Amino acid sequence: MKEQVVCKTSDIQPGEMKEASFGRQGVLVCRTPDGEFYAFMNQCIHQGAPLDKGMICGATTDKSKPGSYDYCHEGEVIRCPWHGREFSIKNEGRMLANPSKKIPSFKVRVEDESVIVYK
Amino acid sequence: MPKYQIPIVDTDIHERVQYKDILEYLDEPYKHYITNCHWIQEKHMPYTQPAVAGVDRADAIVPDGRPAGSDLKFMQEQLLDDIGHEIGILTSALDPSPSSMHGWHEMAVALASAYNDWQIENWLEKDERLYGSVHIAAQDRDAAIKEIERVGSHPKMVQVLLPIDDIMWGDPFYHPIFEAAEKHNLMIGMHHNEPPVYYGKWPRYFIEWHTLIPTAHMKQITSMMFNGVFDKFPNLGLMMIEGGFTFIPHLMWKMDQQYRDLRHEVPWLKRKPSQIMKEQVRFTTQPAEELTKKEFMSLIEQMGTDEMLCFSTDYPHWDYDSPYRALPNLDAELKQKIFAENAKAFYPKLPKKRRANNERASSL
Ligand code: FES
Repeated sequence: MKEQVVCKTSDIQPGEMKEASFGRQGVLVCRTPDGEFYAFMNQCIHQGAPLDKGMICGATTDKSKPGSYDYCHEGEVIRCPWHGREFSIKNEGRMLANPSKKIPSFKVRVEDESVIVYK
Repeated sequence: MPKYQIPIVDTDIHERVQYKDILEYLDEPYKHYITNCHWIQEKHMPYTQPAVAGVDRADAIVPDGRPAGSDLKFMQEQLLDDIGHEIGILTSALDPSPSSMHGWHEMAVALASAYNDWQIENWLEKDERLYGSVHIAAQDRDAAIKEIERVGSHPKMVQVLLPIDDIMWGDPFYHPIFEAAEKHNLMIGMHHNEPPVYYGKWPRYFIEWHTLIPTAHMKQITSMMFNGVFDKFPNLGLMMIEGGFTFIPHLMWKMDQQYRDLRHEVPWLKRKPSQIMKEQVRFTTQPAEELTKKEFMSLIEQMGTDEMLCFSTDYPHWDYDSPYRALPNLDAELKQKIFAENAKAFYPKLPKKRRANNERASSL
């Protein structure tokens, strides 16, 4: 499977995510608030939870100081439905607490109304 | 990737009751307090559990919107059938615990009884894989013993559940509870509820409290140990549920060293504390810290036995452990022990042999 239309652009609003199939592989298609599309393996790299059952959200950042939260990147973070690990959509799916780990990702392009995932 | 098949005995599954479900098992006036007076149990934790859906796995909420763990059919689909459990031990979510009920013992006792009846009828008798825990309001010792006498002989009740809360259960005042449990071949299961881990108060963050839960478990083991419960009730076993297991070697060494120095104070201990732990105390594995195989094996070596750990998922809570991924890839014999045999050897009322007609093998 080299490439595949996984959904229509109108299927996912900015700040939302959705499960789709790429061949036999389950993928998580995310749309960040700026309208861009991203696709990741729909399985958490920790213990394998289905990521589409988690949430797309923002995160408290490393600019936070003890006792004072800095929260941003709304719509740019995936949080796992089980242990809550956070992955940055805009930073190659890297885990916030340990950026050396990342969710495998797929390339995505949009043609007309179609969201196409490819390797 | 699946390599071979072994059965799973899951030692910590939380079925959940909603108050409306137990009304039919409650007598008046207790029913009235819930139905018309809107009673709900007092909780103390100042924060929520800051995962995606509070205390639960976000994907375990029942599709019709009911809370995770409240529907047997969905639990069967998502857990028991999907993984292929041979046995699951229910540890619930209802807790008439001392710190939330204060002195209102009558209500606590009524809730525990109603819960047991609800559990038996709706879970234990509806799925052959499920075994249960007798709920008691142990703060009312004599009523608790009556409840053990009432439901403890049910063939699918395997333990009496005590909350890790604000009572140290080793106190001789509570020993008659252990006597009643032992009489019915029931083990004691201890699970934390809202134990004070922080000098009687709450730490500022949930992550601090959650990190320190093992300290509350260590306190209860120490209490049971030095109050002589295990020597007094040699057939009794204690299952510590959901408190972790990497502290075990430390506690064994510490208690042994203390015992060598200060045996004088607790002459009723006839065996070394570490020996007693090996023989009578067990631990569920979840939430497993992420260890390499080498680290895990070194820990087992430090414990001096591979028979103390019993696998658990803690379904449907957010810190669920997957049987496929939570522990390192262990050798077949050890895997067999941790995933099934240790729990079967511990609970006298669990079937020892795998059911012949059980087709639901699990691939691990
Ligand atoms: S499975 Fe995703 S954080 Fe654990």
